[in-house]
Amino acid sequence: MNDIPMAVLKRACIAVCMVFALVPAGVAQNEARRIVEEAQRRAESKSQRYEGFLQVLDSKGKVADKRWVFMRLGSHGRSKSVLRFVTPAEVKGVALLIVNHPDRASDQWMWTPALQRERRIALQDRSTRFFGTDFSFEDLEERDVNQYDYRLLGDEAIDGAPCWRIESTPSERKTSQYTKSEVWIRKDNYALAQVESYIKTEVVRRLKYSDFLQVQGIWTGRRMEMNDFRRKSRTILALEKLEYNVPMKEEDFTLQALRNPL
Amino acid sequence: MRLLFVLLVFASPASAQDFTYRGFGEVQSTLYPQTTPQDDDRVVVEGRFRFEPAYRAADWLTLSGSIDARLDNLEQVRRAWRVDLRDRGVERPALSLRHAAATLRRRTFAVDVGKLFIRWGKADILNPTDRFAPRDFLEVTDDEFLAVAGVRVQYERGPHSFDAAWVPSFTPSRTPLLGRRWAPLPPETLGTIELVELPAAFPDRPQYGGRWNVLGPGFEFSVSYFDGFNHLPQFAAQPLSDRPAVALQRTYSPLRMAGGDAAVPLRWFTVKGEIASLFTTNEDADDVVLYVVQLERQTGELSLVGGYAGEIVVERRSTFDFAPDRGLTRAFLGRAGYTFNATSDVAFEAAVRQNFDGVWIKGQYSEALGGHWRVTLAGVAIGGNQGDFIGQYRRNSHLQLIARYSF
Repeated sequence: MNDIPMAVLKRACIAVCMVFALVPAGVAQNEARRIVEEAQRRAESKSQRYEGFLQVLDSKGKVADKRWVFMRLGSHGRSKSVLRFVTPAEVKGVALLIVNHPDRASDQWMWTPALQRERRIALQDRSTRFFGTDFSFEDLEERDVNQYDYRLLGDEAIDGAPCWRIESTPSERKTSQYTKSEVWIRKDNYALAQVESYIKTEVVRRLKYSDFLQVQGIWTGRRMEMNDFRRKSRTILALEKLEYNVPMKEEDFTLQALRNPL
Repeated sequence: MRLLFVLLVFASPASAQDFTYRGFGEVQSTLYPQTTPQDDDRVVVEGRFRFEPAYRAADWLTLSGSIDARLDNLEQVRRAWRVDLRDRGVERPALSLRHAAATLRRRTFAVDVGKLFIRWGKADILNPTDRFAPRDFLEVTDDEFLAVAGVRVQYERGPHSFDAAWVPSFTPSRTPLLGRRWAPLPPETLGTIELVELPAAFPDRPQYGGRWNVLGPGFEFSVSYFDGFNHLPQFAAQPLSDRPAVALQRTYSPLRMAGGDAAVPLRWFTVKGEIASLFTTNEDADDVVLYVVQLERQTGELSLVGGYAGEIVVERRSTFDFAPDRGLTRAFLGRAGYTFNATSDVAFEAAVRQNFDGVWIKGQYSEALGGHWRVTLAGVAIGGNQGDFIGQYRRNSHLQLIARYSF
């Protein structure tokens, strides 16, 4: 023992301590990832269609109603979505095409019939609100489990339902306006209950799910309330006529199809 | 029509959900504080109704159209109650088929037949490559696109898309009416020479063009080619033998265009560029290269577009033409918009010639009232010298109030 220098002993002690300190963190990461993967697996479907009724409530109490039709083909990370406004009349026909990628941010194009042209939404513009709602363009992307790193923060109930509270941080290849998000996943059915999104240390948006129903075997919160804390406004989105695994064609999710009014 | 009938016969029955429509009724009032030497009317009121139905007759076939009805107080709208299919008269038609198309789609292959809007360029403030996009320039600074009659074929394969257009019938841009405030006439001609407008000489050869577009992960670019005619006219002037007057006739130069555009999103801005080489065989028209470079950014509720439009005259030959596309070059162009809330927004646009001979600034405030109404108040200020394309309209600054009911 006398032959072992004190400095080496110190280093060994520090290393052992670090290993013990890292084990719970690693376990928490793995556990968090497993929960999110399971939530994603249970939400998986070949396609989705719903009619969304939106109420945008600004800080002065003004209410604006909007309605869109949403269609998605494919599942997490490899899906394509088209969202087309139905009302109000002046934005009828405005449409958004989102092409999600497993390894990078999505591609998005917006079609404006009055201008007869589509516009690609640049990455740096994704923090902009989508057509006067409190959803940003980025919020309309589909989150894939592999684009984030996770950490289990603990347990917390949302509306009386026990949930896992998980921190998700965009991985290096993922471009995001948010520094991190905290995600609440219900323990009883692995459905998303709430997402709080941060810029640096400030919570800027909160998306809360309610009115849960099992639709074709998939637990879905059919009411979403997005709060924009910086604007002090909120948007309530109610999913109507929700269906999963509806037959859809790849050709309805192209720029050509986006220009088509139907 | 026969083609349309055949398509409908072979289309499978569709449900009521496959029919949709949109449209609006609008009253637009424009007040010009100043008169001009050729026009002392100060108030223009125009009413417009638009109906745009679309019907998905089968999975592979969509029929869509748009009909406009107009009326105004100054007879810039023709007082003839027949539906104008070709829309190439001097005045705006009272009733017009603005757009009518049958779209056939199979996998990533699409064919549009009918009266179509074909827009190619990527830039937002000027599109030199948009050669199938004539416009109504009756009020030069408040223009809108006109459709062209033809066939368009589109094919997408991965990140590549190919676009080909064939337009057998020529649609010109509508130019300002002679004797009205927006007519581009030198002041020395006013009151000294009687001008008589002869029917336009429309080209009778088809136009065609193609475009290849590539969507990359961090960029987008396209190259395009066009062989046809300039939709903006030249004026051929001839003295009349029977009286002291000059006859003006609109003619349209043959035009070949090779061009391209690109968009590259960077950390702070998206950079967009568009360039077109325009060559003609007309000995009275110029060969030019037009280009635009712009930066674009949207942050929060603010959207900003700013850039420069340039022109290189390869060979100068023209005598008397009407060329708003070139009139907005050698200029800094910009647009800014801010959305206050779900119902109201404000926007500013400006064009400033690099030598300050022409300045055009527009500001507008718009407010939605309920789910159908929108009221827009706009002000346009124009200044500069008579010899400049923008500056010649310096007495046409105006205020505009627009009330629109959308359905």
